[in-house]
Amino acid sequence: MRGLYVQNVSKSFNGVKALDGVELSVEQGEFMVIMGPSGCGKTTLLLVILGALKPDKGLIWIGDREISRLPIEERNIGYVPQDFGLFPHLNVYENIAFGLRVKGYSKSEVDSKVKSLLRMVDLEGFELRKPRELSGGQRQRVALARALAINPSLLLLDEPLSNIDEATKSDVIANLKNLQRKTGITTVCVTHNPEDAFKLGDRIAIMYLGKIIQCGKPKEILENPKNEVIKRLIAPILI
Amino acid sequence: MDRFDVALKMMASIIVIYMLISILYLYIAVGENWGLVLSALLESRVHGAIFISISSAILVGILAVAAAIPVAYVLTYANFRGKDILETFLVELPQTFPPVTEGLVYLLMFGRLGLAYTFAAVIIAKFYVSAPFTISFAVRRFTEVRESGIDVIARSLGARTSHILSKILLPLTAKDLLAGFSLTWARAMGELAATLVFAGAIPWVTETLPALIYLASNEKPQVAIAASVIAETLSMISLLSFKLIARRK
Repeated sequence: MRGLYVQNVSKSFNGVKALDGVELSVEQGEFMVIMGPSGCGKTTLLLVILGALKPDKGLIWIGDREISRLPIEERNIGYVPQDFGLFPHLNVYENIAFGLRVKGYSKSEVDSKVKSLLRMVDLEGFELRKPRELSGGQRQRVALARALAINPSLLLLDEPLSNIDEATKSDVIANLKNLQRKTGITTVCVTHNPEDAFKLGDRIAIMYLGKIIQCGKPKEILENPKNEVIKRLIAPILI
Repeated sequence: MDRFDVALKMMASIIVIYMLISILYLYIAVGENWGLVLSALLESRVHGAIFISISSAILVGILAVAAAIPVAYVLTYANFRGKDILETFLVELPQTFPPVTEGLVYLLMFGRLGLAYTFAAVIIAKFYVSAPFTISFAVRRFTEVRESGIDVIARSLGARTSHILSKILLPLTAKDLLAGFSLTWARAMGELAATLVFAGAIPWVTETLPALIYLASNEKPQVAIAASVIAETLSMISLLSFKLIARRK
């Protein structure tokens, strides 16, 4: 079953094409990584899926629901940006509870859901800390818990490892994979780093100049890169 | 020794001394006449001017905060042609426009409606000149929040405009609104020309401290000096208090 379908999406800024007829299909429960160099349109694609940017052309589907015209707040998409985007004036508990509260959940429902998410991301005891009092990894886990709290149909991660130090990176990757498997949520993650992409993705879509130029399982791409651009992009893995 | 460094420090010191003297000279000028000033403080007209000045400035501050929120929201989030020009009209122009002219404009606009020479006229005149401080603080902070992208995240979690405003923008802008309020309050306390032209100077109705200082400076200089000491002291105390509150928050 299809979790996300991006159908022929294009987007230009001042006449410059950031997305050029992007086609991408992600299976339900799959971890899809979109990899490409800086400026290739990865984050633009993520923001179009999220609803923060309007595409000039094309449609977005989640399951069999066409969401292209829905406002962000009605799309039910969890989003974790590169800098995690935690609300600086709210503590960990309030950050995670935010979506539940605005959706009108009762106090006891909010409490039980937040506590279970805190357990899931291993942050029990951190409820009252403000974002500035947390490490990069902890902030990311809060952002993930906050995004998952609303039971989203889709999870979007923008460069989730760029603000994580090398020493804890492998733990964070394991946590991310583990969390995604546990929740079974369809996930789309963008990164410029081929090593991260190959560790995280069930499948990888390689993006270049606003287009998806190859999509497949990590092994398929490694064994059969379609062209020289892809060979160059995945070169760090081959060394 | 870096001569340029020393020269810069000397120039800065001269400016600092000039500014401090400008503020503190009034207290020195009072000199031995403190008795006269204190007796002037007992005059009913002075009490009226203090009351009109403080109450109108507080009201203008509150109205400025109430006006700044929707204006800042529209200037931050709405996309339309001429947004920059509108911001200039709302924020910069009132700060550079001659207040006396604005007083005349209001007199022509609202005079027939019976608003001239009333307490409402004091508020209207002071609002135009003073509110831009709060509006500009709110616009700057709302824009920073928008640029950080956390409003988009809040929307992705289901937040509607009312939630964005009450749970994100206002809590993150509270300090800036307070700072804007304090500057608006201080500017409203000092406003003279627009108020004098449109509202006049009726004791206990429209006469403010600056109006009293202006009108009494020839006839009763000790009253003018007493009112000046009060106006300056109030401005200093209030601004310092607001700064302390804002720092603590």
